[in-house]
Amino acid sequence: MTKRIIIDTDPGVDDALAFLLALSSPEIKLEALTTVHGNTTIENTTRNALAVLDLLKANDIPVAKGTSLPLLVPLHKSDGEVHGQAGVGNSKLAEPNSNPIQQHAVDYLIERVLAEPNQITIFPIGPLTNIALAIRQEPRFVNAVKELVIMGGSIRAGGNITPAAEFNIYADPHAAHIVFHSGIPITLIPLDVTYKCLLTPEDVERLNKIQSPIARFIRDAISIYMDFYKHYEGVSGCALHDPLTLATIIAPELFCYEDHYVDVDISGGISMGNTFADFMKVSKKPANMKIALDVRGRDFIELFLERMETLSRSISD
Amino acid sequence: MPKHIILDSDPGIDDALAILLALASPEIVLDGISTIHGNASTAQVTKNALSILELAKGSHIPVYKGCDLPLVKESLLGPETHGDTGLGYANLSAPQVQAQAQHGSDYLIEHIMSHPGEITLVAIGPLTNVALAIRKEPRIIQHVKEVFVMGGAIKHQGNTTPLAEFNTYVDPHAAHMIFHSGMPITLTPLDVTYECIFLKEDLDRLLKIDSPITKFISDTTRFYMEFHDEYQKIDGCVINDPMTLALTFMPEICDYQDLYVDVDISTGVGLGNTFADFYNYDKKAPNMKVATGVRPRMFMELFLERMEKLADSLS
Repeated sequence: MTKRIIIDTDPGVDDALAFLLALSSPEIKLEALTTVHGNTTIENTTRNALAVLDLLKANDIPVAKGTSLPLLVPLHKSDGEVHGQAGVGNSKLAEPNSNPIQQHAVDYLIERVLAEPNQITIFPIGPLTNIALAIRQEPRFVNAVKELVIMGGSIRAGGNITPAAEFNIYADPHAAHIVFHSGIPITLIPLDVTYKCLLTPEDVERLNKIQSPIARFIRDAISIYMDFYKHYEGVSGCALHDPLTLATIIAPELFCYEDHYVDVDISGGISMGNTFADFMKVSKKPANMKIALDVRGRDFIELFLERMETLSRSISD
Repeated sequence: MPKHIILDSDPGIDDALAILLALASPEIVLDGISTIHGNASTAQVTKNALSILELAKGSHIPVYKGCDLPLVKESLLGPETHGDTGLGYANLSAPQVQAQAQHGSDYLIEHIMSHPGEITLVAIGPLTNVALAIRKEPRIIQHVKEVFVMGGAIKHQGNTTPLAEFNTYVDPHAAHMIFHSGMPITLTPLDVTYECIFLKEDLDRLLKIDSPITKFISDTTRFYMEFHDEYQKIDGCVINDPMTLALTFMPEICDYQDLYVDVDISTGVGLGNTFADFYNYDKKAPNMKVATGVRPRMFMELFLERMEKLADSLS
């Protein structure tokens, strides 16, 4: 059965790759994108979402524009040296032909989820501000969402924006706190697994044997992203954080999961935004999410490449 | 020209008195009420708002139900202070009119955006609705005329923890968002409200008029007076919220200072503490006008006269 999903997103290079994977996967029906601040401004993330859908000839998929700022912490973008000036690396996407829908992303999420309880899985792959607002504005949202599959946090892998914190959580730790403690069924895809899924320069070369705007977009989009990984993290390749969330549907057998009580530090000290699991059950609190703690990384990359090759052949020059 | 007001409120005994004062004051027009968790649950305070409006023949004023929970913190309600129903010993009949379908936060957004520069927001409960509204529609920050907030304790002790006042303690994160939003805020902290005690003698004066209004005020404040006596050794009760509302049309009740005010959200013993940078250590520009001095009887006389007039008209 195809799974109906909405991606809540801040494109962002790897966000864009997640749309590509969603639209090339028959297991998934991508019903909408809701945008949020994060990798770049809300104006950029919304424009990027629309432009990538144009590239994919999928602009029948609605895009709802969401929140421009985190709840409490200052806006912390990662454009420039991670995601490029406009958020999608060196790719030169055309101005989008379509506009976001009028409705605010928070209202759209509430309306869609309440209209069809337990049908829609949301994939938040940016800061969690929209989801937090939806929970507080409409408490029934909590029981009506089928599941959240969240890209965020780092359980034992260290941070990528501070030594202790992962970017999406750090960008709005209070929103993450609201979501983690909401009672919505959550699957967390933290850095512990995403850093095991590296797309290498050789992979990109392999893809570009096909003459297609898709393959070229991937190459151009990730060039700055790869430079960032090489320069800061000494890694040849780049982590496919956001696309990996979709593998929970396409190839769940790739993951090892554990159920744990996970919290996020919002106390404002040096570990602000740190996500940690109570492995030893010292707090005696029931598990609030399923965490992916291991993944067959190379198998995921092969899956990703095959899907991108198929997509590239279907949208060729 | 009367000021157009939205009351964001958690009635609540003193909130109820603020609603009555709004209805009795020709200087202002109460456009709507958005409700918020706080003194009692949102379901309860929404019912209370509707019942109070009915009691005072104000049912034409729309009520919008707002948020049920604080942003980040666990929920905290105030039954010791306001009773289980939020209105002390008052026993109002169930409202005939229902709340509007629109959410309280969305009402704030829509009403302010459709009347730019004209709407005065008076927020006398926890600030969760206002916090949601400014994140969903940041332009209301520019378009709201002014925001009057009942909350905080600047030099005064707290009334919920030793350091924190109830409204800011219940949702300190929302208060943080509002304080740092750039909206033109006037703060009415405990520093001034605790100077204005509604006394038994004041109540006796009102009770000379036989009216459902004076009966309600008597029933609702009797519980509140018992609380103040038991917990705070105060003879009478502090009516924070009507005082905040009064400042919208009679600012001379208070003296003000422009200050940089922050709220502690660091989850230690000071959570919800509000403090002003009186010596400008942080070199930050003032973010609000704070009522720091008050003429208590000026306010109390205004309040009593208006309640007498309202009671007379509905006797």
